[in-house]
Amino acid sequence: MSMRKIGALASAAALALGAAACGSSKSSTSGGSTGSSKTLVGAGSTLVAPLVSVWQPEYLKESGVSVAYSAIGSGGGIAQITARTVDFGASDAPLTEDQFKEATKEGVGVVQIPWALGSVVAVYHVEGVPTHLKLTGPVLSEIYLGKITTWNDPKIAALNPGTTLPSTKITPVYRSDGSGDTYAFTDYLSKISPEWKSNVGNATQVKFPAGVGAKGSSGISAAVTSTNGSIGYLTLAYVLQGKLDDALVQNAAGKYPVPGPASIEAASKTLKEVPSNNMISIVNPPATAPDAYPISTFTYALVPEKAPKASTLKAFLKWAITTGQKYGPKLDFVPIPAAVRAADEATIEKVEEG
Amino acid sequence: MSSQSATPASPSALRLSSAHHSFADRLGDPALRALAWLASGVAIVILGALAYKVFALAGESFSRYGLGFITSENWNPSQGTNGYGFGAADFLFGTAVTSFFALLIAAPVSIAIALFLTELAPRRIRRPVATLVELLAAIPSVVLGLWGLIVLAPMMRGTIEPALQSVFGWLPLFSGTETGLGMITAIVILTIMTVPIVSAVTREVFATVPTELKEGALAMGATRWEMVRMVMLPYARSGMVGAVILGLGRALGEAIAVTMVIGHTVNGLHPSLFATGDTLASRIASEYQGAATSLQISSLAYLAAILLVLALIANVVARLIVRRTTVRLPVGLGAPN
Repeated sequence: MSMRKIGALASAAALALGAAACGSSKSSTSGGSTGSSKTLVGAGSTLVAPLVSVWQPEYLKESGVSVAYSAIGSGGGIAQITARTVDFGASDAPLTEDQFKEATKEGVGVVQIPWALGSVVAVYHVEGVPTHLKLTGPVLSEIYLGKITTWNDPKIAALNPGTTLPSTKITPVYRSDGSGDTYAFTDYLSKISPEWKSNVGNATQVKFPAGVGAKGSSGISAAVTSTNGSIGYLTLAYVLQGKLDDALVQNAAGKYPVPGPASIEAASKTLKEVPSNNMISIVNPPATAPDAYPISTFTYALVPEKAPKASTLKAFLKWAITTGQKYGPKLDFVPIPAAVRAADEATIEKVEEG
Repeated sequence: MSSQSATPASPSALRLSSAHHSFADRLGDPALRALAWLASGVAIVILGALAYKVFALAGESFSRYGLGFITSENWNPSQGTNGYGFGAADFLFGTAVTSFFALLIAAPVSIAIALFLTELAPRRIRRPVATLVELLAAIPSVVLGLWGLIVLAPMMRGTIEPALQSVFGWLPLFSGTETGLGMITAIVILTIMTVPIVSAVTREVFATVPTELKEGALAMGATRWEMVRMVMLPYARSGMVGAVILGLGRALGEAIAVTMVIGHTVNGLHPSLFATGDTLASRIASEYQGAATSLQISSLAYLAAILLVLALIANVVARLIVRRTTVRLPVGLGAPN
């Protein structure tokens, strides 16, 4: 056979193989299809991502179901589950009325299931200043509003009498992409400062009046580490990995709890009952919880009320809120309280096959 | 016969009797034509479908803001606050400023590199240096963005910006406080990204300058610089413009590297290069995935539509300039096209 004929046959065979491969792999990679129920696809919150990455191999061992998760940010998680391109979304921000409406397709809505409890920590990098600087909510809000501009401002100095603060300019760093960390942080600032609430608000993406934006938690980590005088906010897990200096924020009782499992659990204990739509906010807990960390947040799994892989999905979620919680403490997540778990189980039961 | 050297007037002149062709060869001709038509058709369809989808998605924002969107400086995605609303002015400004200054620096640098590689460098180092410059283009933009965030930004804040401010601080361009992240860092990154493209194309264009012209100039006593100025640059003018526009296309659309170093703020229009800001592409890249409301998604699509129109205008202007500045030479010396 001539070279040309061999070449033509070879390319035809390759094309045919490629087409066949595309056809057969389609069912296992697309999220909302009724293909193999041995995989689940999720996307969303970066706050819960370290926990999910521990869950993935453990759940695979226990059940044979592989869970794929893309940490694209809470806003992305909401968008993906609205478009039904994933089996479950993950968001640190509970859905607003409008988001619930937009996520309802053909009468089938989504439900939110709080499945992990974490915290957002203020991190900073100022040469000459040791870790665990003390700040209050009002001071933090004024820093991010651009009203306090240098580290040796009297308001910060008054809280830290033993520390010499340099006159370095403060550069607030925030998330430029949609993030549940932003939601938790702005939730706290909105409850502390009415000016913040009316001008900036509380959402996964807001217009910060001062500072610079960085993309992703890793972006904030890099920006804070490389900019002297900067302050940012990250989930506790990233803080420990990055060995960054974290600030102690004063709670309503006037104390400065160190962010960690104990103080987050104290905050979660202030939850009296779970509302019907599972939307919980435990930022700025009242003074009756003296050891509570003020910027703790629940993070939610978002699932449709009717899902094609309902049984696999429900099994995974039930595992996540029970067995999965034991992997949390090593990553500084706190197991969800019993009241929340009960509400979750009731919500999960309602998910139907469809 | 003379038909051996002259190009045939029509394909039919090539058609020999079917006894001379195998089945595969006879099939190949219509198959090739069909494939070529299909490929071009698909490209046009994709372009049309993409533009249609972007404009359709922008519909909600367009019906709410109209063309005033383009001049509005507000961008606040937080529903329920006083300032909730969207507008493109800040990002148009950011795109214009970063692209303009990036090209301002990249164009002369690239032309100098191209001149160096075609005329001045010793023959032995031409290949390696050319390869190294082209390797710059191979760096993934996200890697460049990361380098910008971790290495360049602290360097800008600590060394370069204070130096610029002490010498040129009286210019509004270099006034203001330096943060490391900002327009000027984005401009440096964009320059690094456009130099390889512009210099590669310019080098190709310089290589097409006929040696007879160059030798003629040198023979008449011109210095090397005079030869370059009077022969090479005018000859290559349209090609250089084309190269710069290619670079502009890259600068306009660069999203990831820019979004990591530009600081993502909506600051209003101000002349300082040290300020942070945002560009169209960078804002779309950072906010699209997390957009919470349909109005925000629509406004981001509106930004995308503006970017598409900008790219189209840049291309059309480039073609016009190329046509105007093309040097017409006598046939014997070969005109560039």
